[in-house]
Amino acid sequence: MKCPRCVQRIHRAAQSCPHCGFSLADADANFGSEEVTLRSLTDAAGLLRRGGRRKVEAAMEEIGRRFPQIFVAVYTGPLGEVANIRQFGFWLLNRAAFEDVPMAKPNEAGILFTIDPESKAAGVTFGYLLDPYLDESDTFECLSRAHSHWLDGRYADGLVKAIHHLGGILAKRSRQARRDPEKFERKVLPPPQMGDLVRRIRSGHRVPEEQPVAEEVEK
Amino acid sequence: MRAIPFLALTVFATVHAANLQLPTWKEDERKAFDEAGGVLRSFILADEPEPEPETTLDVEKPKADEVMNDPLRSSEIPEKFLTAYFAEKPTEFLVDPQGLLGPKDYKDRLAFLSYHAGDSSIDFFVYVFGGEQEIPGEVRAEETVERLFTTGRPAVVVFYFLGAPQRSAIHLSPSLTETVSAADQRRALQSSVMSAFEKLNTTDQLDAFSVQMSIRIYWMERMLGGGASPEEVPVMSHRPVGKKMKAPSTLDLWKEQTVIWVDRWWGGAALVAGAGLLVSAFVVWMRSRVRFRFPDLEVEPRLGGAHAAGVGAVISFASAALPPASQKDQVPDYLRRA
Repeated sequence: MKCPRCVQRIHRAAQSCPHCGFSLADADANFGSEEVTLRSLTDAAGLLRRGGRRKVEAAMEEIGRRFPQIFVAVYTGPLGEVANIRQFGFWLLNRAAFEDVPMAKPNEAGILFTIDPESKAAGVTFGYLLDPYLDESDTFECLSRAHSHWLDGRYADGLVKAIHHLGGILAKRSRQARRDPEKFERKVLPPPQMGDLVRRIRSGHRVPEEQPVAEEVEK
Repeated sequence: MRAIPFLALTVFATVHAANLQLPTWKEDERKAFDEAGGVLRSFILADEPEPEPETTLDVEKPKADEVMNDPLRSSEIPEKFLTAYFAEKPTEFLVDPQGLLGPKDYKDRLAFLSYHAGDSSIDFFVYVFGGEQEIPGEVRAEETVERLFTTGRPAVVVFYFLGAPQRSAIHLSPSLTETVSAADQRRALQSSVMSAFEKLNTTDQLDAFSVQMSIRIYWMERMLGGGASPEEVPVMSHRPVGKKMKAPSTLDLWKEQTVIWVDRWWGGAALVAGAGLLVSAFVVWMRSRVRFRFPDLEVEPRLGGAHAAGVGAVISFASAALPPASQKDQVPDYLRRA
């Protein structure tokens, strides 16, 4: 988990970045603290034509159909000179009210693609539901698939590619979570306290209780 | 009423016939008839005069040694050629050490036999002898063939007598004798001889014989491969080998193999392909119906965000000189502009 501003690693449940002190309040100061109502596909920059828009919507619906808990949102728009696309994505997914997304799918289950055509940058932000299952490298792979299309100005094709690839990754993670849920549970455990650490060190010097029983069975 | 003209015609013909007189013998004709023993000779029955007896040409008769040395007339194969015929396995499919065929004919016939060998798994050897020649008694043909053709590919060996195709003899290499019955061999030889007799020229006869035997060998090959031999194979009319028959190209062979393969396997292949399509369609349908779910794990909010704090990657597509691979390490404030 990284800070949207300084991109340094932050620990779970940090109320603000321990490195730069960033929090949602800082983003609100930049973009506003009010809720923003918009559709899941908002092409404020006008990058998508009608056919392209339809293709992107179809890809988004496909994700919603295959993953009933999840939705995909896309926002394109110029962010201005001082804006940071990471901070904007973080802010938008927390402040947006997607009018065409069912109430059963809160923003925690959202994956937001943000494209800034002025700075020619794109980013991905995802909600807490997907926090254990997605990481930065997964989202980087998705954006890499779209890179060549976006270079040519084919934004819709790039988005479709990225969303399809995201679907593959999500399906894989879902299967892994079904096979080995503990692996993902460990990712979201609260950070260990000092007492826990001492307890773990002490338990490491003790002989486990099951071991003598096992030895007896061997004898 | 209609019969009246026919009745009138009949009556007229009868009356006219009664008035006709029968022919009578002339004296000289009667005398000649009696001299001939009561047999009518042509000079009486034909208007044309009797042809004059042929005058014998004053041509010197061939000498005995010339007759002996002419392989087409001689009944013996000169001893000097016996080694070339029967000593070892021939290197060519056409064996003619006596030079009974002209160079061009030899070349054409050899080309056909070579083509046959390339197209068939059974070789076809033709030993050419004179029409009157006899294979020496000490040369036992079957044993010779068995000895010479034990190794190598299966072969059909024919002793062919120029101008006398009916004297031809067929022998098979040991690998074929058990599988091809004597009746089949006889039928093959008979049909080839019949084919040869359609031609007058000795070389053409050999040509027709070879073509028909080649066809028969094809059926032998089918028998070896498990196919049934037809009772009657039509005798193919003779066609000049050198002009019309040419070696098939690789593409033709490939097509032929494909047709054979399709004929043999199309049922199974179609079944497998159909089953594969069905399975694929079923898999696609099942996959389209699969729904993926994630365990809803409790995640503590971060950075004051109520819904999300999962900041993923950012990529720049400003320049083709900056590929994704070079952007993998997301450095702090990577895309932040001053």
